[in-house]
Amino acid sequence: MNIDSIRRAIRFAGLVLPLTWAPGSMAGQMRAAQAQSFGVGVTTATVNQQAPSAVLPAGGTMAQDQASNVSIADMVTAQDAFAIVAGDGTDASDAVSSATLGQVSILNGLITADGIVAMASSTVDGGGANSNAEGSSLANLVVNGVQVSDPAPNTRMDLPGVGYVVFNEQIPTGDGVTSSGITVNMIHVVLQQLGLFGYETTGEIIVGSASSGVN
Amino acid sequence: MSNPRLLAGLTATAVTAAIALVVGSCEANHTALAPKVGGPRFHFGAFECTPFKMTGGGRIDYPDGTADKNPPASHTYETFGAHVFGSGQTDATGTCLADKGALEWIDHRPGMELNGHPLNLHATSVTFAEHPTDTDCTDGAAHWGGKLRVQNTGQEDLDFEVFDCDNGEPGVGHDGFAIRVLEPIDGLGDYEVTCPDPDLPPAEPSCTLTGGNRQFHPTHL
Repeated sequence: MNIDSIRRAIRFAGLVLPLTWAPGSMAGQMRAAQAQSFGVGVTTATVNQQAPSAVLPAGGTMAQDQASNVSIADMVTAQDAFAIVAGDGTDASDAVSSATLGQVSILNGLITADGIVAMASSTVDGGGANSNAEGSSLANLVVNGVQVSDPAPNTRMDLPGVGYVVFNEQIPTGDGVTSSGITVNMIHVVLQQLGLFGYETTGEIIVGSASSGVN
Repeated sequence: MSNPRLLAGLTATAVTAAIALVVGSCEANHTALAPKVGGPRFHFGAFECTPFKMTGGGRIDYPDGTADKNPPASHTYETFGAHVFGSGQTDATGTCLADKGALEWIDHRPGMELNGHPLNLHATSVTFAEHPTDTDCTDGAAHWGGKLRVQNTGQEDLDFEVFDCDNGEPGVGHDGFAIRVLEPIDGLGDYEVTCPDPDLPPAEPSCTLTGGNRQFHPTHL
């Protein structure tokens, strides 16, 4: 084999082999189960905090966090908050996350609930990929003094002077064939202020959040 | 002895009833044994010691532990995350050993509060894991357990057992989970969340999930 033949072989290997190997190896790298949950999350210009919070570690099978009392920036209080994530981080076929809280008060009692469960579940197998928010619930939800019973997914209510709130917010992801995911936010308050060009979002409060995904 | 009272109970029952208990082989099917009086409720017609894993978590609305959710305001529900890796290996006593596992269990029922907080059980070790074969759990089942701590009080080293069922997809309305603590919990006494159904095989006392999923994997490798 002369030097030109060697160069051609190297050039072939450099150009062609990566094209043949990349898809399979990428597919292997991209298979993953994700799960994340938190009890309370507040994001404003000055606050960025979640508690308690759990994230499924890469290759892991479970994580949890908890707090007897949660208070963030005088905007949210809650008791007995648990965040649990579980799944198979190795073969990425399933993921489950949950956040549970009691005695929740948001914005000095503007919104209260005495029990919240956020639950997200995702699976993938030969029959396809699926996610759901079954198991999620709100107990004794009161908004500005008015009882709200069992809000349907993505129920939006205006909060004059504050912004708006979405109850039982469900955000699906994935193609339903090889991938699927869902994020469930049981109470999602969007803080707004009137600016030069209309209402501008200044922050958000999320109470009871669970996410899961597989691909 | 690190394995729970169940296995001791099974052994004792086997001795007194002069039933041959086949142990020692990873693939052995164990002879059917009835639970002794005052002993564990869970019992098996047949199980095997093979490598597997069970993962996931969820919610149960017990009582009644059916697929229907209780009214949220009742706070009558339990939530959990749990996984177990069965090794497929037995020890000298015939106990089918677990490689590892974890359990976080929260009982939100008001009557189950301890020190003003929901009952929270946390596994400190998972010691055994076996694969029941006489169930209707279509995708796989597991019986496993070990030691736990009551987080509310710090009470340690309570034996527990779990019956775990992957009965297809989705997990809600199909899969099942049940737990029994084998020693009294200080302040509560005996504790178990089990839902035996006379129409099902005896190895299925699990309560139906109202949320989440249990996923059986036939091997943990």
